[in-house]
Amino acid sequence: MTKHLMSQFDADLNEIRSRLLEMGGKVEKMITDAMRSLVERDSELATHTIDYDHEINRLEVEIDERCLEVLALRQPTARDLRFITLALKIVTDLERIGDQCRNIAKRAQELNDLPRLKPYIDLPRMAVIAADMVTEALDAFVRGDDQAAYAVCRRDSEVDLLNEQIHRELLTFMIEDSGTITRAIKVTAVAKCLERVADHATNVAEMVIFMVKGKDVRHTSALENQPQ
Amino acid sequence: MHSTAQLYKLKLDKLNVHFGSARAVKDVSLDFPVNTVTAIIGPSGCGKSTVLRSINRMHDLIPDARVTGKILLDDEDIYARKVDPVAVRRRIGMVFQKPNPFPAMSIRDNVISGYKLNGRVKKGDMDEIVESSLKRVALWDEVKDRLTSSAMALSGGQQQRLCIARTVAVQPEVILMDEPCSALDPIATLKIEELIDELKDQYTVVIVTHNMQQAARVSDVTAFLYLGELIECDVTKKIFTNPAKSRTEEYITGRFG
Repeated sequence: MTKHLMSQFDADLNEIRSRLLEMGGKVEKMITDAMRSLVERDSELATHTIDYDHEINRLEVEIDERCLEVLALRQPTARDLRFITLALKIVTDLERIGDQCRNIAKRAQELNDLPRLKPYIDLPRMAVIAADMVTEALDAFVRGDDQAAYAVCRRDSEVDLLNEQIHRELLTFMIEDSGTITRAIKVTAVAKCLERVADHATNVAEMVIFMVKGKDVRHTSALENQPQ
Repeated sequence: MHSTAQLYKLKLDKLNVHFGSARAVKDVSLDFPVNTVTAIIGPSGCGKSTVLRSINRMHDLIPDARVTGKILLDDEDIYARKVDPVAVRRRIGMVFQKPNPFPAMSIRDNVISGYKLNGRVKKGDMDEIVESSLKRVALWDEVKDRLTSSAMALSGGQQQRLCIARTVAVQPEVILMDEPCSALDPIATLKIEELIDELKDQYTVVIVTHNMQQAARVSDVTAFLYLGELIECDVTKKIFTNPAKSRTEEYITGRFG
């Protein structure tokens, strides 16, 4: 895309892109750290992760302000308008992901005080996929790449399957031994948090498709709408 | 004397302008920060052009007009008794709504005309002044091969840039612009706005505009005038996201005016 005649306009938009990527990077780190604090039973890392949420919230406020500024001062239209309004929504999704990571870290703290329930295999897998989805969705937004966004939407089902698997497995545990119930419920909660993270990443991806195509695929099956 | 720590290039101190018995500008006090673009906005008839024209003493040319109060350029009142208005206009240039290149002159002569009127020019210097002024307004590449052709052959946007080149050729300190883009198409307008953004590095710019969105795009500070009075003046971002006065907000949001 060619540049704006007002070079400052491009500078403003690039600033927002950079901040979003920064926020995405930090959120991704939170996902990884939260999972590690659980798997490695590192409660100190869990505490650090909980505090780190302030950083995410700070970025939310900053990006919101910059977007407001662009709306007031630049009168963006068409693609630029979609970019700004979607940046505002994406910031909310990223902030929610931060909150989910905080919740994971809290559950980790609680679980680390109790004997380990079982080796965690599927949970870390979920976390890796969810973190990838966040990164790829944001990259897609910044690059305006709808194909990459569709790819993110498709991965959501992987996460959903893992979540179901974990539920089933833990259900078996709980039925067999009621002493595991407290821990199993907490682990289930962690899986739910990761499933929510993946959903938020999918939201971002759907918005990218809207921004690029001007086509709203939210609340539909994205696969139905994908071009051949 | 120019202080390096100077914050304000220009200050209006209780400016009043009367046309006969009608008071068009009422006790306006306003400070213009150096190397910034200040936009003056307000509905038709609010006095913004009148304020602008006071700054380079254009009302001197109108028998009916009476200007009271002070206008300080670098802390010296330009309306003081001993001050030569022509000297003021050399330091404070003006660009008008309708591009007004001199029709009988070539592009080159247009650029140099203001300079010639204000002092002697050595022939060698002339070419340099023409080139640097035209480059300053991003017009050089478009006209360098036809400097001797008529200025009237240029498009509206180019003519306006030529007028700005003519203004900067005499090395003013302040540039006043009275609705400089009103007569231009949207793309020419954006090019001039980009130019204004660049000009503030060297000059202090005051622009009167009835186009609020232009004020939002181009200025650092915005002053809102209404019925001859200054209602509010603040950083542009604040005026357009959260103005202090409800009158300002009503105007900005298009609820009156």
